[in-house]
Amino acid sequence: MSSVSKQNKKSQQEKSRTTALSVKWARRREVALEVLRNPLTVIGLVIIFLFLMMAAFAPLLVEPNQPDPYQSPRDWSNIDAAPGVAGHILGTDSTGGDVLYGIIWGSRLSLQLSLTVVLFTLIFGTIVGSIAAMRGGKLDNLLMRIVDVFLSIPELIFALAIAAVLGPDFSNIILALAAVFWVKYARIIRGEIIRVKQADYVAAAKVVGDSQWNIYRKDVLPNAATPLIVQATLDMGNVVLIGATLSFIGLAQAGLTEWGALVSNGQSGLLAGEWWVSTFAGLAIVLWALAFNLVGDGLRDVLDPKTEGR
Amino acid sequence: MSENWLLKVQDLSVHFHSPRGVVHAVDNVSFEIKPGETLALVGETGCGKSVTARSILRLVPEPPGEYASGKILLSQDQDQSIEILSAPIKAVRAIRGERISMIFQDPGKALNPALTIGRQLAEVFGEHRMDMILENAGIEPDKASRADKMIAQQRASFLQIRLFSLLRSKKGKALQKSIDDAVARALADTGIPNPRKIMKSYPHELSGGMKQRVMIAQALACDPDLLIADEPTTALDVTIQARILELIQEMQKRRGMAVLYITHDLSLVREFADRVAVMYAGRIVETGPAVDVLASPQHPYTQGLLGAIPHRRTPRGQLAAIPGSVPQLVSPPAQCHFASRCKWAAEACKSVVPLLNSTETSRKVACLRFDTAEKLSVDIGDMPARAEMGEVAAE
Repeated sequence: MSSVSKQNKKSQQEKSRTTALSVKWARRREVALEVLRNPLTVIGLVIIFLFLMMAAFAPLLVEPNQPDPYQSPRDWSNIDAAPGVAGHILGTDSTGGDVLYGIIWGSRLSLQLSLTVVLFTLIFGTIVGSIAAMRGGKLDNLLMRIVDVFLSIPELIFALAIAAVLGPDFSNIILALAAVFWVKYARIIRGEIIRVKQADYVAAAKVVGDSQWNIYRKDVLPNAATPLIVQATLDMGNVVLIGATLSFIGLAQAGLTEWGALVSNGQSGLLAGEWWVSTFAGLAIVLWALAFNLVGDGLRDVLDPKTEGR
Repeated sequence: MSENWLLKVQDLSVHFHSPRGVVHAVDNVSFEIKPGETLALVGETGCGKSVTARSILRLVPEPPGEYASGKILLSQDQDQSIEILSAPIKAVRAIRGERISMIFQDPGKALNPALTIGRQLAEVFGEHRMDMILENAGIEPDKASRADKMIAQQRASFLQIRLFSLLRSKKGKALQKSIDDAVARALADTGIPNPRKIMKSYPHELSGGMKQRVMIAQALACDPDLLIADEPTTALDVTIQARILELIQEMQKRRGMAVLYITHDLSLVREFADRVAVMYAGRIVETGPAVDVLASPQHPYTQGLLGAIPHRRTPRGQLAAIPGSVPQLVSPPAQCHFASRCKWAAEACKSVVPLLNSTETSRKVACLRFDTAEKLSVDIGDMPARAEMGEVAAE
């Protein structure tokens, strides 16, 4: 009898220890579990995980080239070697660069590219969009017309123009992409905030005397941010696609182990039957973009059921 | 008349600028609320009653809204008053929640889905009762550090809270307990069972009635002098409605606050309101003690409203309605807006705006022809009260 009551007491104590914070984590776990129920999302996550591992342990997988690890080591004795020849598992390109080396070290560049661009555009776009939506009026009009100008030029062409003006360099590709991608986030967050701002709970927060900043931080942003998360995930893939396009047309330094540059390198050999360079590098790009798209779509289905099947 | 009023609305006009023209949503509305009194603002959808209510807290978005004219005075200590529409926003924020609070039609939409109930209520205490929170945690408000205050005000970020509870775990716990206690007390006050459990739930985990109770707890957390209830029961199940209204009434009695009901439910008016103001197309057309107005309405519109309520003697399939529809309020003509639907309308009704004139002590009506219209008063016995409606349902 007494042991039962003791147990009851204990479980009650445990219950009372679940704080608001742990409730939040429990909810996050729920969302995570729901995301993981979709097999496509899991596939995407696995591919992303593999790429991340590849980027993180690149020096262990293949010996870094000295002095610049982002230039493939040249094996002049094995030019255009087919996959499997003399220790080149995926073959070499026309300058003797190892394809596998390029793909492994290229994953670091891709990660660097997508992370910097997405983080920057996410933050900058959110700030601009939030200011526009929260302030409204003329400032909103002004900012959104600027955004419209950016949106009116196709992404690729615009990034191309900027990168071309800045000169062929990988960091310029990052800059160009950042300059192009932020507008999307500004637009999305602005629309979401305007929608959320009309919610009664924002009015209710005003009614109890909350400040504008507090309302933005606690009521508006958390309820407006989900489409941003989805968009950011999708863009992790898109950025690499467009970045690869830019380096494909030669806007990265010569010989850089960037996937797009590799595809471009191998292109000349394609007709001669040397298919491996472009194919393997292209495959890396496709897998990267595909993985993030799968995860992004999976996230959207869970976080934003309204847009399902769009 | 005595000068004993809590809130005074004078000639309030609210316009909305739309592409089709200026919408006169509220047109020269005046009324006052005495301390502890219950006033019901009655009218159909789109008549401007909600806009009027929101204006009192200056919640109408500008633009597209515009306070075209008028004053809203809130009495303060020593015969002073503050004019809400022209006051700096900081002063208005100090009034919101502290002196005037509001509950909304749909409690499901009025709670932030991303925060737990506890966090949302804590917000109110942080904004208005920081000193109390600090004192209960054993910290003297004057000596509190910046971090203490930020935690008490719920302004600290997730990381800051974690850091704080790591570095000064005792103080952090005391503060958290102080906040939790205040929130639990506020929730328990509205008759919520097991408030500690509710605090940890998200709004979607609660029923509609429970959410409305939480809303009421939030609105009343700081003992306001005036509670604005914007159709507080419209979105609730019929079974819950009466309970929520009784809860509001009980809280009102206990705290001596005034309540402004915004509603289209005349049976609610009859049961809970001291005075009633009937709005039509942005104007108040009739005011007076609720009992008198419902017993002998003087404005043809009020008569129509009352006549439209079905009662048990109404034959099946013969619901009464007021003919015509509400006029467009885009640049409206200077006339009685009800003239096109009124069977007593005369030529004069279409050329002047009728003013609210006293007809009896404490009663006013804005009708040129009220002498004629008055003869059509509705028998009070025909007004179904809630109890009677219950009876009908039981039959």
